[in-house]
Amino acid sequence: MSARPILALEAVSKSFGGLSVIQDLSFAVLPGERVALIGPNGAGKTTAFNLITGVYPVDAGRVLLDGRDITRLPARKRIRAGLARTFQNIRLLQHLTVLENVMVAQYARSASLVGMLQPVNLLPGNRWQREARDALGEVGLAQYAEAATGSLPYGIQKRIELVRALLARPRVLLLDEPAAGLNPAETEALAAQLEAISDAGVTLLVVEHDMHFIGAFCRRVVVLNFGCKIAECDSDAVGDDPRVREAYLGADQELAAAHA
Amino acid sequence: MSGYLEGVLVVLAINIILAYAAFLPIVAGQLNLGVAGFMATGAYVSAYLTNAQGWLPVPSALAAMGATALLALVVAVPILRTRGIYLALATFAFGQVVVAIILNLDVVGGASGYPVRGYLGFPVIATAAAAVFVALYCLFHTRFGISVTAVSDDELVADQMGLSVRWLQTAAFTIGSAVAGLAGALHAHHFSYIEAQYFNVLLSIYVVLYVLLGGTQTIYGPLLGAAVFTLLPELLRGSAEWRYVIFAGLILALMTWRPQGVVTRSLLRRLFEWRRPPAAEAT
Amino acid sequence: MLAQQLVNGLMLGSVYALVAVAFTLTMGVLRFLNFSIPGIFMVAGMLIWAMLKGGISLLLAVPAALALGAVLSFAVERLTYPQMRGGNHFIPLVSSMAFLILFENLVLIVWGSDQQRLLLPFDSVSARVGNVVIGVPQLIGLATAVGVVWVLDLVLKRTRIGRGVRSIAEDAETATILGVSVGRVVPVVFLIGGVFTALAGALFALNYQQASPFMGEEVALKGISAMVIGGMGNIWGAILGGLVIGVVETAAIHWFGARTVDIWVYGLLLAILFVRPTGLLTSALGGGGAK
Repeated sequence: MSARPILALEAVSKSFGGLSVIQDLSFAVLPGERVALIGPNGAGKTTAFNLITGVYPVDAGRVLLDGRDITRLPARKRIRAGLARTFQNIRLLQHLTVLENVMVAQYARSASLVGMLQPVNLLPGNRWQREARDALGEVGLAQYAEAATGSLPYGIQKRIELVRALLARPRVLLLDEPAAGLNPAETEALAAQLEAISDAGVTLLVVEHDMHFIGAFCRRVVVLNFGCKIAECDSDAVGDDPRVREAYLGADQELAAAHA
Repeated sequence: MSGYLEGVLVVLAINIILAYAAFLPIVAGQLNLGVAGFMATGAYVSAYLTNAQGWLPVPSALAAMGATALLALVVAVPILRTRGIYLALATFAFGQVVVAIILNLDVVGGASGYPVRGYLGFPVIATAAAAVFVALYCLFHTRFGISVTAVSDDELVADQMGLSVRWLQTAAFTIGSAVAGLAGALHAHHFSYIEAQYFNVLLSIYVVLYVLLGGTQTIYGPLLGAAVFTLLPELLRGSAEWRYVIFAGLILALMTWRPQGVVTRSLLRRLFEWRRPPAAEAT
Repeated sequence: MLAQQLVNGLMLGSVYALVAVAFTLTMGVLRFLNFSIPGIFMVAGMLIWAMLKGGISLLLAVPAALALGAVLSFAVERLTYPQMRGGNHFIPLVSSMAFLILFENLVLIVWGSDQQRLLLPFDSVSARVGNVVIGVPQLIGLATAVGVVWVLDLVLKRTRIGRGVRSIAEDAETATILGVSVGRVVPVVFLIGGVFTALAGALFALNYQQASPFMGEEVALKGISAMVIGGMGNIWGAILGGLVIGVVETAAIHWFGARTVDIWVYGLLLAILFVRPTGLLTSALGGGGAK
C-alpha cells in the first residue's frame, strides 16, 4: 500500500464574514482507508466537506488529492479528478427521473463536448443507460428507475444519492451522514453496501453521528470541534479520549442547561 | 392548398420555431423576455443581406441565425451573471434596447419599416420548422438535455457533479436565441416587410406564455403551445383581440390549476401506457 | 433651456415614480414582478378619457379611475397570491402577464386601437418661474405624487398594517409566526399599488392629454426601470428612480430625438442590472432578494 495519502488537508482555514469556521485543519486519508469525521453539531464537518469538494474556496491552506494540489481547482473538475460526495440533506434533482439523476454523474467520466452530446436518452439500449440501470439494480433499486424523485421514501432517496455518486467512479467518496434517518435494517444494508465499495478500492471519508455505525465500519476517526481537529485516533479508542468526551459532554452540558 | 390555409400553416410553423427558441432557455431555468429582440436581429440581418448585399434568402437566413448567435454569446456573459427575476429583467431590457436601436437605423428603414426582398414560401418554412423540431428533439435527448435540466433544478449539485454550469447556461441561451433569429429571418422573407415595433415585449410575452401553456417538461409541449396559440382564433372565428382575451384566460386558468403546463412527463407516460399494453417487468 | 428640460423631466418623472412605487411594493414585499401594473395604468387613463368624452366631471372621473385601479388590482391579487404561497415567484409573474394581455385586449375591443385625445374641461394654466414654464396641472401631479408617497411612507412606518407589510417583506414565514395576518396585509399592498398605478395613469392622461390602449407598454413599463434604479423594495428609491427616468427621457428626446428614448431608458436598466442590481438606494422594505 502506497504511503502517500490519497486525500490530504494542510492547515486549511475558512471564515465566513469574520466568523472562523475551520481553523488550521490538517489530516490525511490513505488510499483504501475508511475514516470517519465526527464532532458535535456545528463543529464544521460539512464545511470541511464543502471545502474539499470546492463549494467554497479555502482562506488558507491546501487540499491535495493523490498528491495533486486541488486547492484552486474549480468544483466541477474535482469530481472529474475522482472525488465524489453525497449531501447531508438529500439533494436529488426534482425534474429528472431517478435514472436521469444517477446518470448526471456519468458526465464526470466523459467531460467533453462529445460526452455532452451523447444521445443517452434517445434509445433505451445505450450503454450509459444500461450502466445506470445496472448500478440501481445492484442495490435493488431498479424498479424506481423511471420514478419521479420527490415522492420516494427518504431511505430510498438516500440510497439513490449514493448510487449517483458512485457512477462517477470516484477514487475518494465523501459521505455526509449517510445513515441519518435510516432505520436499523436500512443502516445494515448501507453498511454492507459501503463494505462492498470499500473492498473495490474506493477510499471513504464519512461524516456521521451514529457511533455504533462508525465503530463497526471505520477504522480511524478524526474529531472536530469548533472548526479544529481535536483528536485523531482509532475508532475503538475514540470513546476513551478525554478531549473527545469533553467535546461531546460539553455539548451535552449545554443542552442540559438549555432545558433547565 | 388554399392560400388561407397556407397562411395559417406558415404562421404555425414560425410560432413553433419561436416556441423552441424560448423552450430551451426555460429548461435551463432562464425566462427570456427578450426573445423578440433576437427575432428582430435575425429578421433585420437577413433582410439587409438580401436587400443590400443581393444574397439569396436561404443563405441569408442561415447567416442571420449565426449573427444572432454571436450577439447572444456576447450578451450572455453579463446577462448570465444574473439569476431568476434579475435575469428575466435583463433579457427584457435587452430586448427593448435591441428594438430601439433598430428603430434608429435608417439604413434598414428606421421607424418606417423595411420591405424585404427574397421570398420564402411555405415549403421552406415548414422544412425549417421540422428541422428545428428534429434538432431540438435530438439535443434534448442527449446528455445536454439532462444537464441543463439539472442546472435549472440545483446549480450547486450540478456543479458538484461535474457539470459546467456556466457553459450549459450559455449554450442554452445562445442556441435558443439563434433559433429565434431564424424565426425572425423566415418571418421577414415570408411577409416581405418588417418593422421594429412588431418585435416588442408583448411578442416575447406571448411566446413565453404559449410555451408554458404547452408545458416545458417534455419536448412536445412547445408544439402544443404553438398550435393552441395559432389555431385558436381560426377555430373560434373571433377577432384577434378576443383570441388574446381567451388565451389570457387559459393562462390564468392553467397557472391556477396546472402550472406545469398541459403536456407533462406523467401525462406522456399515461398516454403511452394506454396505447401499448404494459411490457413484462424487466428483472 | 437646461432648466426647462429638467423641469419637464421631473414632471414626467412623477408619473414614472408612482408606477415605480407600485412595482416596488409588490416586488419588495412579495418578490413578485407585477406585469399587470402597466395594464391598470392604461385602463385608468382610458377610463378618464372615456368619462371626459361622455361629459362626466373630472371630480367623478378621477375617483372612478382610482376605484377601478383598486378593483383590478384586487382581482390580480386574488388570482396570483395563492400561487405565491408555494414559494414559486415565477407563476404569479406569468399570471400577471396574462392580466396585462387581458386588460389591453379588452380595452382594444371596447375602444379600438386609436390613440385618443383628451379634451380637458379647463384651460391649461402655466406658471412662469424665471425662464422656466411650469404647467400647473403637472405641478399638481408632481406634488400629488410626492405627497401620496410621503403618506405611504408614514403608513408603513407608523401604522400596524404598515409594520405588517414591512415584516412580510423581511421574512414572510416569520411574519406569520409573529402573528401578522398575511391574508389581510397582502391585499392592502395590492390595493395601494393599484391606486398608485391608476393615479399615475390618470395624471399622465390629463397632463399630456392623450390615452391609448398601448400606453401601458409605452409608458408604464418604464416604471420597471425606475424601480430597479432606485432599488427594489425602496419606495423613496422608486421616486428617485422615477424622476431619473423622467429626466433621462426628456433629455434624450431633446438631444437625440424621441426614437432613442428606449435605448436610454432600458439601456440604463440593463447597465444597473449588470453593475449594481440592488439599485442606487438600499432596500428599506427588506425585499428585492436575488431569487
